[in-house]
Amino acid sequence: MALTLDIVTPEKRVLSVQVDEVRAPGVQGGFGVRLNHEPFMTALEPGRLTYVEGGREHHYAVGGGFLQVADNRVIVLADTAEAAGEIDVERARKAFEDAQNRLLQLTEQDEGHSAESARVRRAAARLTVAGR
Amino acid sequence: MPSLRDIRNRIGSVRSTRQITKAMKMVSAAKLRRAQDAVLKTRPYAILLDQTLSRLAARAAAEEQVAHPLLAPRDQRTAEVVVVTSDRGLAGGFNSNICRFVQRFLTENGDRFERIALSTVGKKGREYFKARKLDIRKDYTGIHANLAYEKAEALAREATERYLAGEVDTVFLAYNEFKSAISQKPVVVQLLPIDTSAAAADTAGIDFRYEPSREALLAELLPRHVAMQVWRALLESAASEHGARMSAMESATKNAEEMIASLSLQYNRARQAYVTKELMEIVGGAEALK
Repeated sequence: MALTLDIVTPEKRVLSVQVDEVRAPGVQGGFGVRLNHEPFMTALEPGRLTYVEGGREHHYAVGGGFLQVADNRVIVLADTAEAAGEIDVERARKAFEDAQNRLLQLTEQDEGHSAESARVRRAAARLTVAGR
Repeated sequence: MPSLRDIRNRIGSVRSTRQITKAMKMVSAAKLRRAQDAVLKTRPYAILLDQTLSRLAARAAAEEQVAHPLLAPRDQRTAEVVVVTSDRGLAGGFNSNICRFVQRFLTENGDRFERIALSTVGKKGREYFKARKLDIRKDYTGIHANLAYEKAEALAREATERYLAGEVDTVFLAYNEFKSAISQKPVVVQLLPIDTSAAAADTAGIDFRYEPSREALLAELLPRHVAMQVWRALLESAASEHGARMSAMESATKNAEEMIASLSLQYNRARQAYVTKELMEIVGGAEALK
């Protein structure tokens, strides 16, 4: 008996595996899910999502979204999701710097400020996850 | 009677046309496969998102809570139609079908609204409505060149913001729905306010713990639902476009082949006539010498 983890994004199904544990960045702090977790639904921050399977950790960079747990099934509706190994560190760094520069040009009243700041946080999350 | 050389030249030109249409057909077939694949890939997310949404919305409705503004219909005085067309032509009736469809929609619904604004995605739609002197509120360009979810999200966000600011009371999305490689159907769907009546109410009632709160989750989910609808429309339209172009190019190739066949026949007849005429002249000449 194990947890089933599904990660889906608008562009594709990223992952569907049996795991022992999931750790995710909730909006109210990081949390872990193991077998027989209570039914739970939360929004996710951009950050690192980790699952443990057979003692091995696998890392993913998720760009915000939702996670729900019910009946030992974990469903992640992520805006973006990439395996740590698939991220190009150089490109991630460049994307992060570009987004940061663009954000600095905007004030909080500007239209697109929140979108841009979300982009910065997503890029930052990718960069940290790729860094390992 | 065209000369032998004229016919030969025409055959040559039709042949090269056939080659081009044939190549375009192959390219479209390959692109169609990829586009279809992209549509299928969005399914898991779309299904799970709808499921989650109806769970949240049904529960909110059951407890008679204040609905989210994106869910609440209001007096509909102004509307906006976003038309999805393609950037490129040579796709049979793909663009004109959807444009005519939208024009009919505008006339039919003219009485329902004080004002209907029009936005276009794709060059062909812009050209069509511009030629008919209709005002285009916004032309979203460069969406097809590099189709990505982010662009759908941006379009959806703008529509949502305009809706929430009260600039528009309802937003429709018009696009070619992908039926099969050879058939597309122009459709108009209501993007805003979100219509959840169709969503199967999931009252199975798992008692979730919500973080930060159910209302906050709903507020996060709804914009994604809107973005997903836009994204699906863009992908369906892309698949339809390639399908339409493929069949248009297939019939163009067939027509070229028929034309080549009839021109060849004409060519051979003309040549035969020419040979016969030469022979007659020779025979006539020989006869005269006797």
